[in-house]
Formats: sequence, C-alpha cells, structure tokens
Amino acid sequence: MWRIRMHGRGGQGIKTASQILGSAGFYSGFQAQDFPLYGAERRGAPVIAFTRISKDAILERGPISSPDIILIGDETLLNDPQSAPLCGAEPTTIIFVNSNHRPKELSQKFEVITANLTDLCLQRLNGRTIYSSALSAVGARLLGTIELEDLLQAVEDELPGVSSQMLKGNLDLAREVFEMVQPVAIPQRVEKALTAKPLVFPQHLPVVDGAPIILDPGNMALRKTGNWRVERPEIDYDHCNKCLICYARCPDGVISLAPDGRPEIDYDHCKGCLICAQECPGHFIKTVRETGIFP
Amino acid sequence: MKTQKKTMLTGNKAAAWGARMAGVEYVPAFPITPQTEIVETLAKWFADGTLQGKFTNMDSEHSMFMAAGSAGATGVRVFTASSSQGILHGMESLYTITGWRTPMVIVNVSRALATPITLEPDHNDVMSTRDCGLIQLHAETCQEVFDFVLMGYRIAEDPDVCLPVLVNLDGFYLSFTREPVLIPDEEEARNFLPLYKAMQPVFQASRPMARASAVFGGATYTSFKLQQDMACRNAEKCFNQAAQDFEKYFGRFYGPVEAFHLDDAEYVFVMSNSFATKGKSAVLKLRQQGIKAGLLKLRLFRPFPGEAIASALAGHAKVAVIDQNLAPGMGGITYPEIVTSLYSREDRPEKILSVIGGLGGKDMDDQDFMAIIEHLDKPDSGTPLYLYDEKDVSSFNRLQQIAKLKEALS
Amino acid sequence: MTTSTNVHKKIKDLHPNEAIAPGTGLCAGCGGLEGLRLGLKELGDDFLICNAAGCFTLLSVYPFTPLKGSWLYTTMGGSVPAAQGVRDALDIRMRYRGLEKKEDLNVIVVAGDGSSNDIGFGATSAAIHRGLDFIYFCYDNEAYGNTGFQLSAASPYGSATQTTPSTDVHEAGTEINKKNLFEIWKAQKPAYLATVSPREPIDLSNKFARAKELKGPRMFICMSPCPTGWGFEPKEMQEIAKLAVDTGIFPVKEYFEGEVVHTVRPRKRLPAEKFLERQKRFHHLFEPHRQDEVIGQIQKRVDDYWRQYE
Repeated sequence: MWRIRMHGRGGQGIKTASQILGSAGFYSGFQAQDFPLYGAERRGAPVIAFTRISKDAILERGPISSPDIILIGDETLLNDPQSAPLCGAEPTTIIFVNSNHRPKELSQKFEVITANLTDLCLQRLNGRTIYSSALSAVGARLLGTIELEDLLQAVEDELPGVSSQMLKGNLDLAREVFEMVQPVAIPQRVEKALTAKPLVFPQHLPVVDGAPIILDPGNMALRKTGNWRVERPEIDYDHCNKCLICYARCPDGVISLAPDGRPEIDYDHCKGCLICAQECPGHFIKTVRETGIFP
Repeated sequence: MKTQKKTMLTGNKAAAWGARMAGVEYVPAFPITPQTEIVETLAKWFADGTLQGKFTNMDSEHSMFMAAGSAGATGVRVFTASSSQGILHGMESLYTITGWRTPMVIVNVSRALATPITLEPDHNDVMSTRDCGLIQLHAETCQEVFDFVLMGYRIAEDPDVCLPVLVNLDGFYLSFTREPVLIPDEEEARNFLPLYKAMQPVFQASRPMARASAVFGGATYTSFKLQQDMACRNAEKCFNQAAQDFEKYFGRFYGPVEAFHLDDAEYVFVMSNSFATKGKSAVLKLRQQGIKAGLLKLRLFRPFPGEAIASALAGHAKVAVIDQNLAPGMGGITYPEIVTSLYSREDRPEKILSVIGGLGGKDMDDQDFMAIIEHLDKPDSGTPLYLYDEKDVSSFNRLQQIAKLKEALS
Repeated sequence: MTTSTNVHKKIKDLHPNEAIAPGTGLCAGCGGLEGLRLGLKELGDDFLICNAAGCFTLLSVYPFTPLKGSWLYTTMGGSVPAAQGVRDALDIRMRYRGLEKKEDLNVIVVAGDGSSNDIGFGATSAAIHRGLDFIYFCYDNEAYGNTGFQLSAASPYGSATQTTPSTDVHEAGTEINKKNLFEIWKAQKPAYLATVSPREPIDLSNKFARAKELKGPRMFICMSPCPTGWGFEPKEMQEIAKLAVDTGIFPVKEYFEGEVVHTVRPRKRLPAEKFLERQKRFHHLFEPHRQDEVIGQIQKRVDDYWRQYE
C-alpha cells in the first residue's frame, strides 16, 4: 500500500488533489481511498488530505500518520506547527515541495524533491493558484504505477462544472507535470511487532479543569494566524497620512496604532486578506508574495 | 431533630415545597401536563414574595433548560420541572447543560410519549435522559419527592459532581395524588442545605471566562467526556453522604436501592417509582399465600448503583425486572443494565425475566404480579413478558370496531 | 431625533479598544467579524456573549478565547434563552445577594442569519416579548455558511446556494424571497433595532453607542459579506459591503421610538447588478446567458423598497 499525505491551504484544491489521485489509482486498477481532514479553520488556513492506493484491500481508515509520500502544495507551511507537514516523516519518506528553492535549501534532514508548480498553475490556469491537478500529477508520477491516461480521466471526472477552457488548462497542466517528474522507488515497509498502549484510568479533576472553561481572556492571540498569508501587506510609511482607514477596515483587528498615530500591522496574526491594501485611499499599502519559511 | 409539620400534599406540591425549602432563586418554566402544578405553585410564591429571586415564563423546554443552565453558570440556585414531550423537546439543551457542569434540580413528572399522544404515565420520557449525564433519583412517594429535591441540591452542588439532578415522579399516580408529607421548618432545611454559594467560577464582570467552547480532536473531547463520567460516578458517594446527613436532620434514611422483604425471597420484583407501592402490596399478599416474594426498588438510577443492585439480587433464585417503558425491538430499558450488573456474580439468579407493563398509565394489579410469578417458573420464551391480557385485547377490539363502523356499513 | 446624538464623526473617533484578540479561525476577510469587532469597541469589556452555533463558534476553540469579556457557547437555537438565564441570574444576585453593580455584564447574543431567521427565531421573538435586556447581533451572510452555504430564510432571491443551486429547471437558484427580519422584529417594538454594515464604521459605532445607553431588547442585523460563501476575494469584502449599500440592496437604518430612519442613504442608487456581478453566488444570472427577468425582479424589489421612503 502507498500512503500519500497532501498539505496546502483552504482554497488551493488540496482536497480535490487527493480525489484526483484516488480516482487515478482506481482507474489504474488499484484499490483506493481518499479523504480530507476538516479542521476548524477556513479559507487560507492549513488543510490536509490523504490518498491510499493499494493492490490489496485497504484495511486502514482515517489520517495517515506515517506517510510514504508527502506532497506539500504550499512551502510556507513547512515550519508551521499547526500544519506540521513533516510530522511522521521517516528518512525514507518521499517529500515533495512546491517551491522554487533547491531541495537542500529546504531541508538538510530529508531527501526533498521540488518543482515550481505555482508558476505552472499561474500560466495554465489563468493566473490562479489551484494545485489540484498539478499536485495529483506529482503524486501519480512519483508512484510510477499510474498511467497518464488514467490521471487525465481522473482530472476530468473530479473537476465537474469547470469551464472547458479551465478544464483544458488543468489537463495540460497535469500532463506537463506528469512528464516533468520522475518515478521514485518507494521502500517496502517492515511491519513491527505489535505492542500494547499504556492505558490510564482517568482521574477526576475539579470542575474548572474538568469542564471546557477558559480563564485567560484574550489568549487566542497565542495562536498565530500569520501563516495563513500568501501575500503580505506592507505600509509605505513615507506616504501614509495616518487616515486610519486600514485600521478601521481590518476584520481581525491586527492593525494597531503606534504612539505616533501610525498604523502598524501585526504580522504574527495578519491572515493576508489584503483589505487594507485594497481600501487604502492613497494606495500606500503594497502587497508582497510570501515565500520560504514563515519567520 | 426538630418537629416536622405533616401536611397533605400532592407529589407536585411536594416538589414545589422541596424547591421552596431549598431556597431556590431562579425558576425558568414552561407548562406541561402533568407537571404544571409545580411551576404554578412556585410562580405564586415568587409573585407574593415568599421566595426571593425570579420566575421566568419561557417559550419552550428547549429554552427553559438553556436558561436554567446559563443561570446556574451565573451563580444562582436553579430549579425547573418538565415532563414527557417537554423533556424530548429540551433534550438538546439537557445534553448541553450537563456538559457545562452547572448544578440544578430538575423534576420530571413521568408521562408516556407520543405517538399516540396520551397524558398518562410511563417511563420512556425519563429513560430518554438516561445517557445525557444527569443524576437521576426516582421517587415512590410524595415524601420521597420532597426529600429527593432537598437531597438533590446537596448532590448537584457537590464540587466533585457539579451536574444537574433529575428527580422523577409518576404523573397522576403521584403528581395529583395527595398523601401526608413531613415538611421541616426553614431553619432546619437551611442547616441541611445552606443558601447557595457557587463552588466554581461564575459569570460576572471581574471574572471574564469562556465556557463550553468548541473542541477539535477526539482526545480533548474524550477527556471532557470522561470527566463528566467521573463526576457522575462521584454522585453515588455524594448521594450516600447526603442520605446520612439527611437521616441525621430529618430521621429518614435513603439507600440507593430499597430492599422490601428481600432476605429470604425466592421471587424478586425489581421496580421503581410509584408502582413499587403496588409491588410491595403484592409481595405481602403472595407471602400470605406462602410464596416467598420480595421487591427491590431502584432509587438512584444515575449513576447506576450496579454494586448495590447486584448485592441485593445475588443469591435470589428468580428475578423479574418490571420496566414501565419499552424500547421497541428490544424490550425493557433497565433490564439489560440490571442483568449486566449481575453477570460477574457466581451466585447470580438462575432466572432474570424482563417484564413490560404499565405503559401509558396501564394499571398493574395483584393478578399481574401472580402472572409474573407463574412465568418465572416457566421456561424462557425468548421475548419479554408483556403484561397484556385478554381483557385488554377485547376492549381494544371494541374500539377498533367503532373506529371502522362506517366502513363496515358501506 | 436620535440621529442628532451621534458621538462619532470620523474614523479617529472609533474607540481604541479591541475586545477581540486576533488568532481566531474565522475566514480571512469575514464581514461579520468586522461588524462584531466594531460593535464591541463601543460596549467595553464587561460583556458576555451567548453564541449560537454557526461560523462564530470558531471564535473560541478550547483552550483559546479571543475575547476580553466572557463567552458561553450554547446551541443553534439556544443562545437567546441562555442570555435570559444569565440576565436573570445577574439581576437576582444584584437585587438579593449583594452583587455589586460593577459586576454587571452587557449580555450579548451573537447568532448567524440561519439561527436568527430559522432555528432560533421563536426563542428570539419570545425574548423580545419578555423585554429581555440584551443586545442581539445577527451576522447575516445570507445562508448557512458554517456548514458550507446552504439556503437559510435570509438567502436572497436569485442567489445560488448548495441546496438551491441554479439548474436548467430552476435557473434563478433561490426562488423565494429573503425573510424581512427587520420588519418582523420591528412589529414587536424592541427598544432599539438597527441594520449595520462593516463598511460604515461610524454609523455602526454610533448605533452601538446609542444601544449601550438603552435597556431592553436591542437588535442588530449586520450585513456580512462572506468571501467563502458569496464567492469573491477576501480583499474585496469591504467593496462588496459598500456596493450592497450603494445599490440600495441593503438599507442601513434604525428603528427607535416608533420611527424608522435611514442613517446612510445612497445618494444615487447604483444598479443592483453592480453588486450581483461581483459574486459567484449570482454568476448564473450573467452566464452562460443573462437572466434579465431575475435581475429585473431583484432591481424592482429594491426600487419598490426605496419608493416607500422617497
């Protein structure tokens, strides 16, 4: 069995990627299973999806904790503790990252494969960064057991309702990526002897701990949503006239006022909705694409 | 122990008096037969200043239980009452507020569930709340109703519990039936149950907090659910402690179960609520005929006092668990719980029969109990024993003929 | 008239307090969150939010809360009665148990349009009837957003939702009209009732400042553009909110002491389709062919509405 885990963000087509790969495996004569993991978060937030492909019946369900292949659609997730895309990776795990970086720049510890899917998507998909076809094509080709025609059939079947132009873009994209990537040898797993978990009998706690009660108001700020950003807004202070429109319009309230009245963006939490840039009357907030590892 | 005043009271009035003597501060209410007399009585006491606090007429049981829970989380002593369809309508709220872990006492006046709709009692309503995390006390007499409401607050408010307590009484057979009830004076009640002081943080400006926030991940959910289970289990110890104190103040003692002529009994009826009185009467008559019968009455139903039940039933030859409820396709709801409690006992009864009776208020008489004895001596049939006789069939047939009369003529 | 008592004239007058810390799991560009954020700025930190199940459930996820005030997650139809219980309990403790006035809380219900128009509608009406002293904040994104955008009674005619998709048989998508929650609530004469837009922070803040000084039911409906459900880029949220006002589709108004006043009036109303064409939920009105009749109906309803006030 091959266990493939995919990481990306809400809106990037990660769930669909797992479905295309699942269907492609199925069309190529394998047993297949695919599913997304829905968390609390929304658009822009980290998303995980899974595909299992096997010659035999798949007697597994639920999240894949030790994957054979990890496909990371968004490299800004690499160091993200919530998404934790490298969680459960062994030295033998095949890790693909959509990145312009060379593999060694991303990780010393793991053998990483990289390719710049973002640019390909932008070209083929009318300026959009939806990785469903590209990422599934990477997965299909790495496995080396899935036929191109099955992949293309899966792309068509899993993207119902898209315009014919967009479908063609996706098919071209899948073909291009498929031909670009080389199959890899996936090592056979050695099953370890089963050991029992050390179970514990629960101890009764006082009600403040035993019920969902939170006594630290405002502690949500401990959660950093800055990693949701694909683009960051940057205020051009040479021109900013402190009109505070950006401050007033920010739904997450991450623009605060410095003592001198300047608006300041809290990048730990800014989700990158870019309303501030859109609304700034003088267009003094520019947007910069986030790359690499979140600081 | 001071003198207690003996008064003729209905079960409903006894419940209201229990709330009054507990010094309840808040009653959100919604009427439903046969419970309404309870909230009417309390409404009057709040309106005339007998009780200090607030009585709020709510718009449904769903709303009522929600208001009860949130008021509990804001630090007042809460009481409310419901029945039947009302319990079902409020079910989502009941699961919600038990998870909040806020104490209160709820009285349920048992009434059978639709369809068909009826006003008369059985226990499917209270059994539907079996798994939602409430503590449950079932009353046989109006005195028990009063006493369990007072004891209920001691259990609900114990820091090791912090859960709502539900006191159950049967509609009509108890709710509208008057009998003498001993009521202590207020000072004595206050000694047993002091005025409310919350043992957990409650909502107020100086204590901002978030309660009942969403969780993601099975481990967190499991942790909180297991805590609810621990708290509910703790309630058996708290029940026993409250019962000891109650005896000290008021001279009446309550164990989690009551044994009636059980010591040498060869045939045991397991019953709860008001029909247990009928069972006790039958036991005495059977004994006059030389049949060694006995009865085990369930008082504490959640947490389930499995050990107390098993100890009481072990060593007896034949046991009939009489359920006044029905899980269609399965049988009595308490039956499997009682059987389970006995499974590991080597001296478990040789026969444990599931009996279904008293549905929709259908009466149970001595002949019913004799029929149960007969069946306890017969081989197993593989189905529950239904207390349903030839008279029931013929009267039902008569009704069906009337229902079809015009069709028959045409 | 109340409108003369506006305390805020410009953006710089907005209260500097942020009662909601960042870090929540709500969508980037959420219009409802912006509305709540601006509203809470006016109310101070001594509040308790009774939350109805919906998108805003994600505001507090154990062990985190973004609020400086208190939070009680309830059920989808139980937030208002929960507010009743809290209000009653605080009143009881202040009156009989010596709780100091400074411990009092502004009790706020936060509920989506599904909860407000559908499952919690009866309980809310009951609370207005009882004169419950509370503030109700409905973030109206015109569908069940948290479950993936299905029809609610607030979904407008001509919009596509997951359960009223546009098909060859039902081209318009949603074929019934949005429930007029403002008028229904108004019929019960609450102490205060207003619609607010996240794009009108001064108007919104003045309304919350006014409501804060009143007692009884104070009801808010906040137009909440939803990038995820409506289908637009998060950065466009405020523009979409502005178009909703400028086209007259979303009237910004208040009801106080028997009178309805439009507090932000579009000078010259833009055609409704300027609002519609920016959102995926209305795309079927323009492609593959233009549904003139449906667009015309939508425009007519807007015109009919404003004619009453011209």
